[in-house]
Amino acid sequence: MNAVEVRGLNYRYGDGTAALRDVSFTVAEGERVALIGPNGAGKSTLLLHLNGLLPDPPAAAPAVTVLGTPVAGPNLGAVRAQVGLLFQDPDDQLFCPTVWEDVAFGPQQMGKAGMALEVRVAAALGRVGLAGFGDRQPHHLSRGEKRRVCLAGVLACDARVLALDEPTSDLDPRARRELKEFLRGLPVTQIIATHDLELVVEVCPRAILLDAGAKVAEGPTAELLNDEALMLAHGLERPHILRHSRPH
Amino acid sequence: MHIPDGFLDTKTAIATGALAAAGIAVALADVRRTVPPRRVPLIGLAAAFVFAAQMLNFPVAGGTSGHLIGGVLAAVLLGPGAAVVVITAVLILQCLMFADGGLTALGANIFNMGIVAPGIGYGAYRLLCRAAGESLRARLFATAFAAWVSTVAAAIACAGELALSGTVAWGVAFPAMAGVHVLIGLGEALITALVVAAVARTRPDLVAAEAGRERSYGGMVAYGLLISVGLAVFVGPFACGWPDGLEKVAATLGFEHRAAGKSLVAAPLPDYAVPGIPSRVLSTVIAGAAGTLVAFVLAFLLARFLTPTRGPRARSA
Amino acid sequence: MHDLLSPYQHRDSTIHRLPAGAKLAGAVAFVFSVVLLPRGTWGPLAAGFAILVAVAALSRVPASRLAGRLLWVEPFALGVALLAVFQPGGPGIFAFVLARATLCLFAMVLLSATTRFTDLLRVLWRIRLPVILVTTLALMHRYLFLLVEEMSRMLRARRSRTFLPGRAAAWRAGAAVAAGLFVRSTERAERIYGAMCARGWKT
Repeated sequence: MNAVEVRGLNYRYGDGTAALRDVSFTVAEGERVALIGPNGAGKSTLLLHLNGLLPDPPAAAPAVTVLGTPVAGPNLGAVRAQVGLLFQDPDDQLFCPTVWEDVAFGPQQMGKAGMALEVRVAAALGRVGLAGFGDRQPHHLSRGEKRRVCLAGVLACDARVLALDEPTSDLDPRARRELKEFLRGLPVTQIIATHDLELVVEVCPRAILLDAGAKVAEGPTAELLNDEALMLAHGLERPHILRHSRPH
Repeated sequence: MHIPDGFLDTKTAIATGALAAAGIAVALADVRRTVPPRRVPLIGLAAAFVFAAQMLNFPVAGGTSGHLIGGVLAAVLLGPGAAVVVITAVLILQCLMFADGGLTALGANIFNMGIVAPGIGYGAYRLLCRAAGESLRARLFATAFAAWVSTVAAAIACAGELALSGTVAWGVAFPAMAGVHVLIGLGEALITALVVAAVARTRPDLVAAEAGRERSYGGMVAYGLLISVGLAVFVGPFACGWPDGLEKVAATLGFEHRAAGKSLVAAPLPDYAVPGIPSRVLSTVIAGAAGTLVAFVLAFLLARFLTPTRGPRARSA
Repeated sequence: MHDLLSPYQHRDSTIHRLPAGAKLAGAVAFVFSVVLLPRGTWGPLAAGFAILVAVAALSRVPASRLAGRLLWVEPFALGVALLAVFQPGGPGIFAFVLARATLCLFAMVLLSATTRFTDLLRVLWRIRLPVILVTTLALMHRYLFLLVEEMSRMLRARRSRTFLPGRAAAWRAGAAVAAGLFVRSTERAERIYGAMCARGWKT
């Protein structure tokens, strides 16, 4: 069973402009795939389709299937428990008064309580290296710490698919390195929308290139990102890491 | 207008507390009925917005500056129920975290600034929109006047509460509070109208959305009733010249609010009157009407100024 | 001025370690009893001050900060006070009322300096304050600091492009910033709702 299957996905914004045009791809379980493309390509919009936040209201015939479940009306609850979406701005996602309450939010919606909940939250915070942060208030955390709390929040739900929207934007080099290492060590299906091409090379063996809402190319990362002409044609460039070392 | 602890007596604190609780209950019922779940987080964010916006400086003269209160702004942009919740939340935070406003006076502060101000403001806004139309200019005019009226109304309620508590004689409290807030209200009117105009410039849908909302007449009747009761209790006796009658009632019921035997602040001129007009009540009414008319005209002129009929900024929505 | 005391909420002391519910109840009880003191009873008032000074010492909040906050008397209170002086016996009555108000202020200031708002929220939730109100208080507190920062940035940006000084420019800037902040807040509220749904929030 594939983790994610997208078949002929179309989406228009309220004002009629096409945001996604006939996008199709699959992601196998355990795979790490990057979504790359210039600004406005539709990467974030695509991610929002993976857990059914879009289209709103939900479509009758969904183009997206997650772990065999079509992302439609009655399944949304189940899908959202399986797909952990990390928003571009961690402040949008970290809405509870304390770190503990925020990480506990997802599991609580799933019905967990009491000691089982405590254990889950503690485990999730431990995995992201924030053990003991439970009592902290979000507005006192650094950017990197906020992102890690958001990660803990989705891990606490036992999400099997992680969808990350620009996870390294505005992180300092150390936080970025830590996140990279963490993602590499996480045995969960990952779909990462990002501008950080070096992250793509180091974390994702496969990449999908989007431009103006359409899938332009897909393939092994090294192959795609080494194609200088293709990169430049779609508002990107060949990352330095590939220029100065042999592709793996 | 945050009343500190100890300026209100027990009966007034209890009465305002009860009215505030009732008002909040009505507002919550209104919100549950008319605000869709996806907009509930907005109420919380709006409360944070009002708190932040109250810190903005609007320089007046010398070193002083005016500040936004925000009751009518919230009501115009979010509806009256949400506005009550927003201002109540801000007042609770200010009381508990900044000791701004007394704990025993929280009921009164919420009633004045969180229920009377948005309630009367929204009522005035709706009435004027119905009379003047739904164009942006009409809405700005209604907003400005509503903001002024709400400020003055809250101040009058506050004066009534202080007088009923025996802290300040009505003859001093009313002219002082009403007088000062007639001017403060002008600032509030100007700031509120400017902000609504600015919002309408970038997101006209946010301003129009309020008008298109389901009108909950039941809710509005409930607010109106509450506010009328409050004003009748706190202001009525003085407006009707019955302070002596009220004292007799208080004495009969055993409320010993005059421990020191006299008001904290006695009226210097018990028979305060406008020269040439013998009746105190009549002169007050005339002064009030004149002030209201001036505010009305100013609001009208402001709305015209903010929505020119020619040029690139012309709009009729 | 507003942030004067929030740095002290995270310190450690005997008072800080008390449960939030107890501190709130204590403050409420204290304020209510002080407010009920008849005018002129300076004895109990002085005793009240002594108690709070002891609590303040135990809480290890710097005295200068506390004093600073207490001395900033609400202009409203001052205004009412000044009016009372002009009558026989007025100054005495007025002094008592102002002292009483300051004592209550002292108690509330100590409460806010030693208690985190998020802990108070939990207490309010437990005493069954309505859901919408508690949620509003929680979201307000969470996004307060963010919005204030956003507002400062917007003001700074605006000022960098304002070349003519004067009140009109300041008023236009204030209104524009407030409007921009409101619009951003509505957009953020939508995203927060999305984030809540993404983690299973059922409406």
